[in-house]
Amino acid sequence: MNIEKGKINSQQLLFIIAGFVQGSVLLIDFTVGITEHQTWMVILAALAITAPVILSYVMLAKIFPGMNLVQINDMVYGRFLGKFISIYYVFFFLMTLSFNIRDVGELYITFLMPDTPFIFLLVAFTATCAYAVSKGIEVLARISHLFVVTGMFIMISTFTLLIDQMDFSNFLPFFDLPFIRIFQGIHIVSSIPIGETVSLLMIMGCLNKTEHVVKNTFFGILIGVVSLLIVSVRNTAVLGRTQSIWTSPSFQSIRLINIGTVLTRMDFLVGIGQTILIFIKCSLLFYVLVAALSQLLGLKSYLPLVLPLAGIEVIIAATVFQSPVDHAMITQNAGIIYSAPLMFVIPPLSLLIAKIRGLPKSERGKGT
Amino acid sequence: MIFLLLIYVFIFIINVPGLIKRKEWRDLTAFSILYVIAFALGLLYVLDIPIPSPMKGLQHLIVDILGIEYPQG
Repeated sequence: MNIEKGKINSQQLLFIIAGFVQGSVLLIDFTVGITEHQTWMVILAALAITAPVILSYVMLAKIFPGMNLVQINDMVYGRFLGKFISIYYVFFFLMTLSFNIRDVGELYITFLMPDTPFIFLLVAFTATCAYAVSKGIEVLARISHLFVVTGMFIMISTFTLLIDQMDFSNFLPFFDLPFIRIFQGIHIVSSIPIGETVSLLMIMGCLNKTEHVVKNTFFGILIGVVSLLIVSVRNTAVLGRTQSIWTSPSFQSIRLINIGTVLTRMDFLVGIGQTILIFIKCSLLFYVLVAALSQLLGLKSYLPLVLPLAGIEVIIAATVFQSPVDHAMITQNAGIIYSAPLMFVIPPLSLLIAKIRGLPKSERGKGT
Repeated sequence: MIFLLLIYVFIFIINVPGLIKRKEWRDLTAFSILYVIAFALGLLYVLDIPIPSPMKGLQHLIVDILGIEYPQG
């Protein structure tokens, strides 16, 4: 039995996915240091490479309607191996959520509110996410389009305001970076914003109909990737090669907006936009975490786990990395390597096994 | 320290009475285990006792033991 009783439609799923990918827009900074002015190419290549993997997530949701990731793992791999794989996923959700909560703290402590205690920012943000999660997936789905539209508005408006400062020769020369750096960049982009959508398999079980799920999932991914592309092109065109030396190229480029000395210091706009986009991503990840853990433990409701897990997340977020540099170094290596099987191996393998074993029909046949 | 205690008393009050009233013992057990872990981690943080990072352990396993790493620079 699915832990969530609420239902969402595939149009809401579109905005959930778009908001989820947009929530990682700040995290392309991890890639910028490696792929520099070719980041836009890396984003497009990552989308092309991950498209079949995303299709495997959607096909899993389609052939196991009404079932979440934990239930699918149990059915495909059996009770013991399925539970083991689900524990691996829960660890991934736990860690990914803590990284994203930490991102918000680092954003505020570095650029917006440097004198505020770090732990206070983490507690305030996590408590807000916990409140959103306690309201259920239906509420998150209903508000997701507002966040996506606001995020898009901020990205497009800042892009437009910076057009006079853009130099498109900053994109040249093409293909001058070593292949391994391009490969690492593609791995980062395909893991962090795009591959992380595997977590939404916990939500796809709540779909009332799975008719247009493939189209809406890819459209959602496309909106998210276009957002990443807008930000990447803007930062490269405005900052050029210097973008790799800044802590946050987005903030640095927005600070250059100066329209008649009236429209200046627009970096607060990015701060607000970034906060709401990470909020929707963290709320979804938090929901996925509590739902997966509750499903794994066979609980009646996920609500009792929300606040204790929020407490655990705050402390992990506060202590998991020593500094933003440490954060970037670990994410660019171990962070993307340990999660690769969860995103690129297990879902396509589950789909293959399900096809070979004729699941879930044969399981249903057994039950009747 | 006082804030930590107040937060955890608040979490206890809003969760435990309902779970006992509905006799959801499994949910109460899961809640209690996570509650104790969360409080212990919070206490370690407040007392400034170093908390081992799971990612440091993973980094050690993947990079130092398994030797899987992207070249730097």
